[in-house]
Amino acid sequence: MTWDFLAGQFAQQFGLWWVIWPAILLGIVVGILPGFSPQNTLIMLLPLTLRVPVEQALAFMIALYCANHLAGGIPAILVRIPGSGGAAATTLDGYPMTKKGQAQQALVLCFTASVFGGLITTLATLALLPWLSKMGLYLRSVEMVVVMLFGLTLIAVIAAKDFLKGMIAGFFGLLLGVIGTDHIYNTPRATFGFLELYDGVPIVPALIGLFAISEALVMIEEKMIVTEEGRAKAVSAQWAGIIDGLRLTVKHWWQIVWTAFVGLFIGIVPGAGASIASFVAYQQSRLWSKHPEKFGTGIPEGVIAPESANNGVTSGTLVPTLALGVPGGSTAAVMMIVLQYHGLVMGPRLFATNPEVAYGVFVSMAVAYIFMIFTILPLARYMSRIVLIETSYLAPVIVLVTVVAAFVERQYAFDMALALVFGVIGYIAQKTNYHVTAILIGVILGPLFEEYLVRALRLSEGDPSILFSSTLGNVLWALLALSLLLPAWRGWRRSKQAAGEQFGNE
Amino acid sequence: MTKESNNSVGADQAKASIGADLVIPALALAFAVYFFIDIAGLAWEAKANGVLIGAVLVVLIAIQGVRLGLQLARGEGRLGFESLLGPREALPARLALVGLTIAFIVALPWLGLTLTLFLAMAAALRAMGLKSWNKNLLISFIVAASAWGLFIALLETDMPHGPVEFVLSKILNTSR
Repeated sequence: MTWDFLAGQFAQQFGLWWVIWPAILLGIVVGILPGFSPQNTLIMLLPLTLRVPVEQALAFMIALYCANHLAGGIPAILVRIPGSGGAAATTLDGYPMTKKGQAQQALVLCFTASVFGGLITTLATLALLPWLSKMGLYLRSVEMVVVMLFGLTLIAVIAAKDFLKGMIAGFFGLLLGVIGTDHIYNTPRATFGFLELYDGVPIVPALIGLFAISEALVMIEEKMIVTEEGRAKAVSAQWAGIIDGLRLTVKHWWQIVWTAFVGLFIGIVPGAGASIASFVAYQQSRLWSKHPEKFGTGIPEGVIAPESANNGVTSGTLVPTLALGVPGGSTAAVMMIVLQYHGLVMGPRLFATNPEVAYGVFVSMAVAYIFMIFTILPLARYMSRIVLIETSYLAPVIVLVTVVAAFVERQYAFDMALALVFGVIGYIAQKTNYHVTAILIGVILGPLFEEYLVRALRLSEGDPSILFSSTLGNVLWALLALSLLLPAWRGWRRSKQAAGEQFGNE
Repeated sequence: MTKESNNSVGADQAKASIGADLVIPALALAFAVYFFIDIAGLAWEAKANGVLIGAVLVVLIAIQGVRLGLQLARGEGRLGFESLLGPREALPARLALVGLTIAFIVALPWLGLTLTLFLAMAAALRAMGLKSWNKNLLISFIVAASAWGLFIALLETDMPHGPVEFVLSKILNTSR
């Protein structure tokens, strides 16, 4: 790969602006709606992508995929409804920022963290592709068990205010996540006799119910979703809010970089995805923060971490697809189908036979991110005004439209009813301070954790010592132990300092 | 009402409504019991993870039960559900929204997406207190038309079709 080759690729992709821009706009629209995963949208648009030349199809799919990942954070920030599982962690600080009248800043942070996170990892992938493609081989089921545990420890973090309630919510979610057939014998477990639950609890209805419907049922208690002060700020929203958001982006540039790489590394592992990456990035950001107690109250770091990781995943997912011919996720699988239809076979040979396609994927991604920032950034000012709509209008639209969206992914009417059931559970949880995010983490990560755990134990014929059998795994275990012990040590040190100061005062 | 009885009512209201706090643990416990019964005969690989999670959940619920029981015994709480159902003014709108969503899901296969969404939106906005019918019907029309445009016309999802979709497909001469 030479500089001339790269320059040519970039020039070619910039020339496809007329394909990339509509894809970005469509990706943003469908990304805002929970239920429209990029793979669903791409499947629906297969008649289009199969008809056009491969370069155009690729540019369209990549731009839509990246925009979809970015847009999931918009409703998460404005109305506490994550557009996808990857944006669920964004609600933790994004929505409190909105309530404080900082919706515009939160949106700008979401856009810049997503775009720069995506851009950095895309360029890194272009430079390090041969090495990154090998990484997926080192992260096996044993190591992934520990990565899952990193995500699950976020339950304990969320539960900090009322540990018992948070843990009950988290373990309830984990048990709900076990619903469905097991990974070895395919025997159904706790499905209440519903065939629709044999594949496990579908994430989209759970997400819609726990966040969208429950939030709509709670928000009608107030006239507006923001405080009076927040309303005043939203009414007078000026371009200064965007500049302030950009200032915060520059201030936290390092966090964007390292959390993007968390997303990239997790994205490389086939099967792992944006949800895990964003939860792990949020948990790690809180762990290494100088003020961990402020997480969850509406701080920029709490928006940057999940959003940057969420988009860092986009390039990571495509690494095993292109380098090994193993789709890193369902969206990558759809892209693979389109490329195969055009006569391109994924795998190591692609870099020799069609380097313009193999590297072009990542160049296309970089160009899409560049277009995206100029498209979406000016919209932050207008998007933030959604908080001025009265809840009596907002709540019915949220409930009915998201219930419809629950249908889209699997096309089962059952999923709409399931969303409502989760909505009622989420409402009860919200009103009684059992954290809905903890339930969702359990529902999302529970099945993945079980899958990797059972696979590892199956390999060792039930011997749990396999979990400590690899060097990389043991390093991850040590980091996990550190993640758990560090906050406790910090708390102990802080209380000791406080006691010392009190003694000094006396 | 005397000042003393007023104070007593105030103190009673200030107490935590423990009944509401027990709903999630009760739901979780009921599900855990069902789960244990359902997986009893399965191979260890199929149930190991669930048994572990369920066992921890049951222990956590037991601790929460003891904690709330002690609160009750000390007179710091009472078995009420006010925090769950309140504030009272929002309760009719909330119940109407849930009821209308159920009606929407039931009616959708017969009336199709566009008409059902239009009717449910109009009813929900009315239940939320929107008095102006003009405004109500306009918002409902915009939401229903946008849903038709996005879900049916643009993305061609398999949303249930009804009379509106049928007429529109005839007018626009499409298969959907």
